[in-house]
Amino acid sequence: MSLADRPDPGREGAPNVSIVVPLYNEQDSVGPLWTALAAVLPRLPGPTEVILVDDGSTDATGAILKRLRAEGAPIRILKLKRNFGQTPALAAGLDRARGRIVVTLDGDLQNDPADIPRLLAEIDRGYDLVCGWRRDRHDPFLTRVLPSRIANWLIGRITGVRIHDYGCTLKAFRSEVVRHLNLYADQHRFIPAIAAGHGARVSEIPVRHHPRRFGASKYGIGRTLRVLFDLVTLRMCTRFAARPGHWFGVMSLPFLGLGVLTALATAVNATKLIRLGDLDFEYAAQTVLPSTSFLLFYLAFHLISLGFLSELFLKVSDHKMTEILDVAGV
Amino acid sequence: MSPVSEERAEPAAVAPPGSAERRPALSGSRPGDAALDVSVVIPVGREVGDLENLHAALTAELTRLGHTHEVLFIADGVGGEILGTLTRLAARQPEVVLIRFRQTFGESVALSAGFERARGRWLLTFAPYLQVVPSAVVQVLDALAAGNDFVSAWRHPRVDPWLNRLQSGAFNWVTRTITGVPIHDLNCGLRAMTREVAATLTFHGDLFRFLPILATKQGFKVAEVQVGHLAEMGKRGFFGFGVSIRRFLDILTLFFLVKFTRKPLRFFGLIGAALFVLGVAINAYLVVRKLGGESLADRPLLLFGTLLLVLGFQTLSIGLLGEIIIYLHARKIREYVIDEEL
Repeated sequence: MSLADRPDPGREGAPNVSIVVPLYNEQDSVGPLWTALAAVLPRLPGPTEVILVDDGSTDATGAILKRLRAEGAPIRILKLKRNFGQTPALAAGLDRARGRIVVTLDGDLQNDPADIPRLLAEIDRGYDLVCGWRRDRHDPFLTRVLPSRIANWLIGRITGVRIHDYGCTLKAFRSEVVRHLNLYADQHRFIPAIAAGHGARVSEIPVRHHPRRFGASKYGIGRTLRVLFDLVTLRMCTRFAARPGHWFGVMSLPFLGLGVLTALATAVNATKLIRLGDLDFEYAAQTVLPSTSFLLFYLAFHLISLGFLSELFLKVSDHKMTEILDVAGV
Repeated sequence: MSPVSEERAEPAAVAPPGSAERRPALSGSRPGDAALDVSVVIPVGREVGDLENLHAALTAELTRLGHTHEVLFIADGVGGEILGTLTRLAARQPEVVLIRFRQTFGESVALSAGFERARGRWLLTFAPYLQVVPSAVVQVLDALAAGNDFVSAWRHPRVDPWLNRLQSGAFNWVTRTITGVPIHDLNCGLRAMTREVAATLTFHGDLFRFLPILATKQGFKVAEVQVGHLAEMGKRGFFGFGVSIRRFLDILTLFFLVKFTRKPLRFFGLIGAALFVLGVAINAYLVVRKLGGESLADRPLLLFGTLLLVLGFQTLSIGLLGEIIIYLHARKIREYVIDEEL
């Protein structure tokens, strides 16, 4: 979605705070979730809107949402055609949020809506994105908490944005951050790093975390390799998108070095023979060293060319580097 | 001069096919934008039957159903007698629209051009000959009316020679197995879809075959109906090996595009990493042997190990380039389709 298509948060009658909740098969949680949200809404500054995204639920979630709305609950319902997953569901809600501040939270009641005012207070302190940190997690240690700790450490290390809890959906965004987040392909777990890559000031505060009351977790482990590749992409795109030529150029250096080394070895091989008075260069040419050296140079050249090619793509794209500007008085 | 011309009562502005900014022309995801009930889109390429007869049969069915309709013929680089027939039809019949390409652009472009100019709420595609019984139109429209977004026709039972049926069956089976979308006949010219589907799907090359799969992956409701098969045009008996190779490449492309368009590194990275690790292992072994005093200069294994290393890294780097391309287009990506907004 292009910037121009997005709702302008400064428009007349626009809400101050938008709350976006993705839901997938949460028929038991929806009712209590709305009760908890309704209790918090009056404590939020200015007009609010609640956007509940039904991500292709196959249970009664959709019907319950409609009933809530029919009973007068001031909610916006966004029903997706099928189950697209966490990132597209979040993106769908974020694309429609009109508030000056946008809050996201999970639909499974593990996040507590009562924490929202504290997130907003942190935004007022001058941050663009405030992340929830589930300091006391109520999840099985071995299958959920431990993998999550390792992932958080790894993401923090690779992206340089060190927060404790990348996996927590409870977050508050200044609308400007939301407008520049173009989420796709499972990027929801990297939101803080992506936002920081655009220049957002990121903060985190500890939030409450409740044990799962209904339903089963929709997460599992065993996606390690995919996450690793995603991390490589993320690092490249957040840190090197301005100069991909450098990224590929640096990558070519080890191979260039190895190529030079093998070329030298070839030369040494040849001179050894010369010194022995045997001027037959054919031995040196018959060894695998020259071809090995050639292969390494070839790869280095390939990588440098890809660098040029990616600079070309960057030049013809409409991608903007500096995205989040400091607007005085916000 | 534009390579496309259009013959219709009121002249319309026509963009050349293949230009990227064409899609928004069909902005009619809202039913209100449709001026007619049904648009039939017929790409007229190489294997062409009696078009007047076809037009009469389709019009008869649609009129009987009480649908306002139009028939769009896309002359995909054809000339001579066929073009004469089409021109005559367009001149005589008010509901016939003729879109003429000055050269052959292929079925995907032809269908896209037809979809863009279609004014119907429901869009049908049809082969340029009576491939299935005319009443199949009723069946697919009924399936659309039942709430489906896309309906694929399944010629069953087939009247083709057994070798053709075998080849076609194999193609459909492989595609079904790889994509998990249970469609039995991807090559039938008859398809039906809503305006919204036609406006959402983008396809090129030979991907038009996979429209039901692309629609399923977008979240649209896709159904299949069995229809009576009449005849096939062109060379029959055995599709050549060239056809088999092209279909195989089509399936590979589809597999990559469906699974990895947004995440090319997951595809190239996995292959590249495996090759790279193997190369590292081989070269590490050789280093150990070298430290043991053996000369590496005579070991072809060094060449092989290095080759794997290079190939692995090259594959990986292509994945990275893919990621950069996708990242730079991130603001144009929308991964969800909305069913209802309240």
